[in-house]
Amino acid sequence: MKGKTILVSFAALVGALLIGAIFILLAKSDPIRAYGVMLTGPFSSSFGLTETLVRTTPLLLTGLGIIISFRSGVLNIGGEGQILVGAIASAGVAVTLSAVPALVLFPLVLLSGALAGGIWGGIAGFLKAKLNVNEILSTVMLNQIAAQLYLLLIRGILIDPQEVAYGTGVPQTALVPAGVWLSRLIPGTRLNTGFILALILAVLVYILLMHTTVGYRLRAVGAGAEAARYAGINVPFYMVLSMFLAGALAGLAGTVEVLGVHHRALEDISAGYGFSAIVAALFGRLHPIGIIPASVLFGALILGADMMQRAVSIPAAIVMVIQGFVILFVVASDVFIRRPELLEQWKTWRRRRSGEVA
Amino acid sequence: MTDFMEQGILIGIIATGIRLAIPYLLAALGEMLTQRSGVFNLGLEGIMLMGAFFGFYVTFVTHSPMLGLLAAIVAGALMGLLMAFVSVTLQAEQGISGIGLSMLGWGLSGLFFRLYVGGIQTIEGLKPWKIPVLGDIPILGPMFFNHNIIAYFAFLLVPISWFVLFRTTWGLSVRAVGMTPQAVDTLGVSVTKMRYQCLIIGGMLAGLAGATLTVANTHMFADNITAGRGFIAIALVYFGRWSPWGILAGSLLFSMADSFQLWVQVLGINFPYELAVMLPYIVTIVALMISFGRVWPPAALGKPYERGVRG
Amino acid sequence: MKSTRKILSILLAMVLALSLLITGCGGDQKPAAPKADAPKTQKLKIALVLPSTVDDMAWAQSMYEALKKLQSQSKDGIELAVSERMGKPVDAGAAIRQYATQGFDIIIAHGAQYQSVVKEIAPEFPKITFAYGTGFQSGPNIFAYDPQAQEGAYVMGVLAAKMSKSKIVGIVGPVEAGDAIKYNKGFQMGVAAAGGDVKTRIAYTGSFNEIVKAGEIAKTHMDAGADLLTGSSQQAVGAIKAVAGKPGTYWLSTDMDQSAVAPDAVLASQVYNWEKVLTKIIDLRKAGTVGGQHLTLSFADGMLDLKYNPKLEGKIPQDVKAAVEKAKKDIAAGTIKIDLSK
Repeated sequence: MKGKTILVSFAALVGALLIGAIFILLAKSDPIRAYGVMLTGPFSSSFGLTETLVRTTPLLLTGLGIIISFRSGVLNIGGEGQILVGAIASAGVAVTLSAVPALVLFPLVLLSGALAGGIWGGIAGFLKAKLNVNEILSTVMLNQIAAQLYLLLIRGILIDPQEVAYGTGVPQTALVPAGVWLSRLIPGTRLNTGFILALILAVLVYILLMHTTVGYRLRAVGAGAEAARYAGINVPFYMVLSMFLAGALAGLAGTVEVLGVHHRALEDISAGYGFSAIVAALFGRLHPIGIIPASVLFGALILGADMMQRAVSIPAAIVMVIQGFVILFVVASDVFIRRPELLEQWKTWRRRRSGEVA
Repeated sequence: MTDFMEQGILIGIIATGIRLAIPYLLAALGEMLTQRSGVFNLGLEGIMLMGAFFGFYVTFVTHSPMLGLLAAIVAGALMGLLMAFVSVTLQAEQGISGIGLSMLGWGLSGLFFRLYVGGIQTIEGLKPWKIPVLGDIPILGPMFFNHNIIAYFAFLLVPISWFVLFRTTWGLSVRAVGMTPQAVDTLGVSVTKMRYQCLIIGGMLAGLAGATLTVANTHMFADNITAGRGFIAIALVYFGRWSPWGILAGSLLFSMADSFQLWVQVLGINFPYELAVMLPYIVTIVALMISFGRVWPPAALGKPYERGVRG
Repeated sequence: MKSTRKILSILLAMVLALSLLITGCGGDQKPAAPKADAPKTQKLKIALVLPSTVDDMAWAQSMYEALKKLQSQSKDGIELAVSERMGKPVDAGAAIRQYATQGFDIIIAHGAQYQSVVKEIAPEFPKITFAYGTGFQSGPNIFAYDPQAQEGAYVMGVLAAKMSKSKIVGIVGPVEAGDAIKYNKGFQMGVAAAGGDVKTRIAYTGSFNEIVKAGEIAKTHMDAGADLLTGSSQQAVGAIKAVAGKPGTYWLSTDMDQSAVAPDAVLASQVYNWEKVLTKIIDLRKAGTVGGQHLTLSFADGMLDLKYNPKLEGKIPQDVKAAVEKAKKDIAAGTIKIDLSK
C-alpha cells in the first residue's frame, strides 16, 4: 500500500512535468534542454547541491509543521506568516540582547523564534477550536498581517542603525552577533548546520506522531473530531497544540534562515517556502520521513527553475505551474487509493476497449 | 482633521470604496453559489488571476474590452470546470485542491504574461460611464452613478442572485444539494450536475472579477495583481452568511476600510502605513470571529458526495 | 509497509550521497551554461542581477539599456548575462554566487537590498568586481554606486510647485526605504524651497510591487486635489496610468524617461547616466582597481540629469524653466545642500 502511494507521488510529478513541457514548447523552447538544466543543474556541482540543501532546510522544517497540522485535521496555510514571525523574533532578540554571552544567547534566540511562530500558529488553532473559524481563511489573513508586521519592524525599530546613518534605509536588521551564527558545513557555500537540525527534527516529529500518545491523539483528532471527542480526547486542546507545533517549526525555519543563511532579517526572507512546503508535504504523503526526499526534490526544483531561467529564458513561473499540477494530481489520485474498485473499473474499461479494437 | 470633514473627501472615500469592492463582490457572489451547493472552492485566487490575464490579453490583442471580458469569463468557466472535475468527480480533498488550483492560476497567468506580453503594456480598457440624470445628482451622483459597467452589473447581480437562489426551482435545488445531498439524489436531481453548474458559474464570476482589476481599474497586468483578493472574497462569503445581501455588506465594509486607509495616508494623518495596510485583514479576521459563532454553513459543505455512503 | 518507505528513503539518501561524492570531489563543474567561452578571451563578462524585469520601464530597465548600449559600442565585446526577478534575497544570493563560480568579471547587483548578500559573497572571490547600488558601503572588490536621487527630486519639486495650479502635489511612495527615501525627501524640500505655499502629500503602498495600489493612491491624490504627482519604483507605472486618465494632471518621473508610457501625462523625468558609471567601473578595473570606491551619480559629475518630455515642454513657462536651471546649477555647485538626515 505504501509503495503504491510513493508511486502515485512520482507519477504526479512526472505528469506535472509533462504538462510543463507543453508550456515550454509553447514558449518555442526545447523542453529537453530546459528540463536538462532544471533537473541536473542542482546536482551537477557542489554549488548546486549545497544551494539545493539550503532551500531544502526551510521546506523540511515548515513541511514537518504542516504534516503535524494536516494530520490533525487542521489545514495550515499560514507557513509564510509563521516563518516571518519566527525570523523577526529571533533576529530581534539576537540584535537587542547582543551583549549576552553566546552560550546563553543561542538557545534563547532559537527558542524565541520557535515560540513566536508557535504563538502565531496557535492563534489560528485557537480561532478554529473555540470559535470554529475556518483555519484556511484565518491563516491566509494572518499571513498578510504577519507580512506587514514584519515590514513595520524591519523598517522601524529593528532597522540596522547603519542604514539610518547613511540614509539608504534598506529594510533589514543589523547583523546578528557572530556568536549565534549557524556554522557553515562546507566553507564557501551557504549550507549550514540548520540542515542537520532539520533532519534531527524530522526524526523527532516521526517519533512524536507515530510512537507517542500525544501523536496518537493528534492523528485521532485528524481522523475524526467527533469520534475523538467520544473517545474522551480534548479536541480543542489538540487542535491548538497541532497549530502551535506547526507554527513553531515554521518559526524555526525562519530562525534558521536568519542565523544560518542571511545572518540578519531582511525583506522577503520567507521566499514562498510556506506554500512550497505544502506541496512538499503532500508529495511526501504527509509522512515525516517521506518529506525529507520530497523537500530535497522540491528544493532542487526551485533552484533548477532559476538556473533554467538563466540558461534558456523560460520564466521561473513555470515552477509554480508544475507545483500546482503536482498538488492537483496528488490530491486527485488519492481517489484511486481510497477506492481501489475505481481502479479496477478503469482497468476493466480499458481491457474492454482494447478487446473491441483487437 | 478638518480636511476630512470636507464633502469632497467623503464623496471620494465612498466612491473609491465602491470601486474597490467590485472584484470582491463578484468573486464572493460566485463562491456563495458554489458553497451553497456544497463545494468549498479555494481556487478563487487562481481563477481571478487567469481572468485578469486573459481579460487583459484579449483586450490587448483585439482592442475590444468586451471581448476581453468574454475571454475572462470563459477562462474562469474552464478553471471552474477543472475544479469540478477534481473535487466532484474525483472527490479530492477540496481545501487542498483549491490551493493547488490557486497556485496553478498564479503560475499560468504569470507564465503566459512573461511569454506573450513581456513588459509593461497598457490597454484602453473600460472607462467609467456616468448614468444620465442619476449621475448628475449632487453628492450621490459622483458617489454611486459614475462607475464602469461591470460595477453596475455587480450591484444588479445582488438582487438577481437573491431571486435566483431563493425564488426559483433551480435555486432551491442548489440549496438542497448543499444541505442534504442524499435527499436530493433520491428525488432524481443529479448532485454532480448541480455542483458542476455552480462551480462553472462561480468560476465565470471570479474570472470577471479578475478582469475588473485589469480591464476596468488599472488597464494593465502585473504578476499576482490580485494579491490575495480571492481568499478575502471567500472570507466574505462566510461573513455574509451565504446571503447576497450579507456579501454586499461585507464587501463594502472591507473596501471602505481599504479606501479609508488610502485616504488617511494621502491626507497626511500620521499613521504608520504598515498598520493602515494591515487594517482590512484585521477587519476580516474580526468579522470571521464574529460570524463563525452563530452561523451554519451549508451542511454538506466540503464533503464530497458519494452515493450509498452515509453522511 | 514501513520498511518499504524506509528502504526508499535510504535509497534516495544514498543516491544523494553518491552524487555529492562524484561531483563534490571533482571540484566545481559549471552547470549548463548558454555559451562555452574559451577561457582566455578578451571579452568582458558582465552579469546583472535585477529585482524586477528588464522591461519594467523604471529602475531595472534603465540599467539594462545602459549595459546593452555599452555592449553594442564595445570594441572587444561584452558578454552579458541577466537574472531577473531576483526579489528574494535567497535567490539573489544563489544567482550572484553562480555567476561568481562561472567566472564573470563584473557582477552588478542592481538594488539597495543586495548590499548584504554582496558583502557576504565578495570576499570569497577577490578577483571579481562586484558592484551594487543604491549603496554606500564599498569593499576591496566592491563598488557602491549611489544615485543622488534627491538632487533630481529637489529640482522636480521646484518644477512641480511652480506648475501646480491647485497648490497640492502628491507623492506615491512605495516604501520609506532606499532610493525612495532620498527621492521623497528631496522632492519635498524642492517644493518647500520654491515657495508659493504648495502642499505636499505622501502616501505609501507598502511595497515596490503593488501596481493596483499605486494607481489607487494616485487616484486618491487626484480626488483630494493634487494635480502634479510623482513617485518611484516599478509600480509607478500604475500611478502614471491613473494620472494619464485624468487630463490636466501630470506626472514627474524618476529612474528613467517614462514619457513613452504616457506621452500626455509625464512632464519630466530624472534620468541616471548609468553608462558613465559603468564605463568608470570598467576602466578602473582595467587599470587594476577592482573595487573599494563609493561612486556617486549627481548633477555635479554629469551622471544625473533632468529630461523634459518634448511633447509637453511647451507648456512650461520660461521663468519656471529658469528657476529649474538655477536650482540645478546651485546643487551642482554645492550652493544648495540637500540635507537628508531628518
